Amino acid sequence: MTMTGNLRNEVLKLRTTRTPWLFLGISQVLVVIGISGVYVSGADPYDPQTALTALAHVGLVSILSLVMGILGVAGEYRYKTITDTYLATPSRGKVVAAKVLVYSAFGAVLSIASTVTALITTLAWLKAKDVPMPASAGDLWQTAAGCVVWNICFAAVGVGVGALVRNLAGAVAGALLWIAVVEGLVAQLIGDNAKWLAFRSGVALEGLDSPSIAVLPQWGGGLMLVAYAGAFVAVALATSMRRDVT
Amino acid sequence: MNKRSWRRDSEVATVEMQRMTKDFGARRAVNDVSFRVPEGAITGFLGPNGSGKTTTLRMALGLVTPTSGVALFDGRRYSDIAAPRRVVGALLEATGFHPARTGRDHLRVIAQITGVPDTRVDEVLEIVELGSAANDKVRTYSLGMRQRLGLGGALLGEPEVLILDEPGNGLDPSGMAWLRALLRSQAAEGRTVLVSSHVLSEVQQTVDNVVIIQEGTLRFSGSLASLGEASLEEAFLAMTAPHGKA
Repeated sequence: MTMTGNLRNEVLKLRTTRTPWLFLGISQVLVVIGISGVYVSGADPYDPQTALTALAHVGLVSILSLVMGILGVAGEYRYKTITDTYLATPSRGKVVAAKVLVYSAFGAVLSIASTVTALITTLAWLKAKDVPMPASAGDLWQTAAGCVVWNICFAAVGVGVGALVRNLAGAVAGALLWIAVVEGLVAQLIGDNAKWLAFRSGVALEGLDSPSIAVLPQWGGGLMLVAYAGAFVAVALATSMRRDVT
Repeated sequence: MNKRSWRRDSEVATVEMQRMTKDFGARRAVNDVSFRVPEGAITGFLGPNGSGKTTTLRMALGLVTPTSGVALFDGRRYSDIAAPRRVVGALLEATGFHPARTGRDHLRVIAQITGVPDTRVDEVLEIVELGSAANDKVRTYSLGMRQRLGLGGALLGEPEVLILDEPGNGLDPSGMAWLRALLRSQAAEGRTVLVSSHVLSEVQQTVDNVVIIQEGTLRFSGSLASLGEASLEEAFLAMTAPHGKA
């Protein structure tokens, strides 16, 4: 069995459920609501950073990419389809590798679609206020690219978390709890060192000027998230190899 | 049998369990179990609930790592077979389905990775009598329909060996009669069938050979005829009585 076969099979599994379409829809709605919030709440529309902050909502969509990655593995345990998956491909590393690639690609698709929606929404608000786009094309590209990388990395982290935890509800709850609560608490304890944390690395990838919290430079945030993704995937590969599937 | 390219000439396959042992922590679930499954016949794998049948079968299929011992299909481990689902078709207890996938899509996913065309999916849907429900989501299926869908998955690759773990679960009396006829026809086509059950009446009119285990230990392996005068039930109860009190 070739790797291509496993990649195609993961794509077919995605296409035969509604979840990817649901997540694609939710992400567009989130982006529209988030950006509208920026302009309704009275941010200066002439400030280039306002437009970039609006576009950076694509970064928040990475939470959906993360959950999707978790679903890709832990969902197979939840519904016990993992048995059929490993019966067809006893080489489990191949299965995990295919999932990392396919779900990362899904993260890319989700965030690129969200970027288009974000740009249209931002331009619509600026037009309504009769303000020309204040941010340069170069800055917009940089923020958009950073947010796409964030999504790709979080999807890969999700596959790793799902393979490691395997309990779907536990994995999703744990990941969301980390982002919503735990990372914030840890950040308070470690001060500026919080810039090395996972979600904070994502914020760095947004490439905004002087955010209110300590962050790495954009490229540094990217490297950190790639490292997080690599570490989770490595642990996932190591633990998936011999674990009993009962 | 027609000769489309993906079909291979049927060969007779041997299945051999060699000194299979599995410890779950301090508990020995399977203890030094060896037996040979005669080719082209139906072998019943019998034992009370919790006697180690499922663990033995999962070890043979590479899903559970044996503490020691090996299962060989024509001399190869399952994980060393290039296209395993074309050689061994398996239905394991608690095989799962994504509830939002249709029955046909469930089989398409397996067919793709098994390397058989979608036309085979339609053939199998007819064999397991799910043609009319093929486009319904699995969440609407009864337990018996799910069991037949699982059997369909095992049959997709026209394997030489069928390993079925409690395939009678959830089938009503007419479903049981259908299952017996299906197993008979599969063996008549030269397939090697190993079918586990804890309900003797399910298998006694169907099997040619029996393997009996209790508390993880082999009690008997041989032809039904070699059990002699005793009925299968008498022999089974004598062999599986606790502490040898029969």
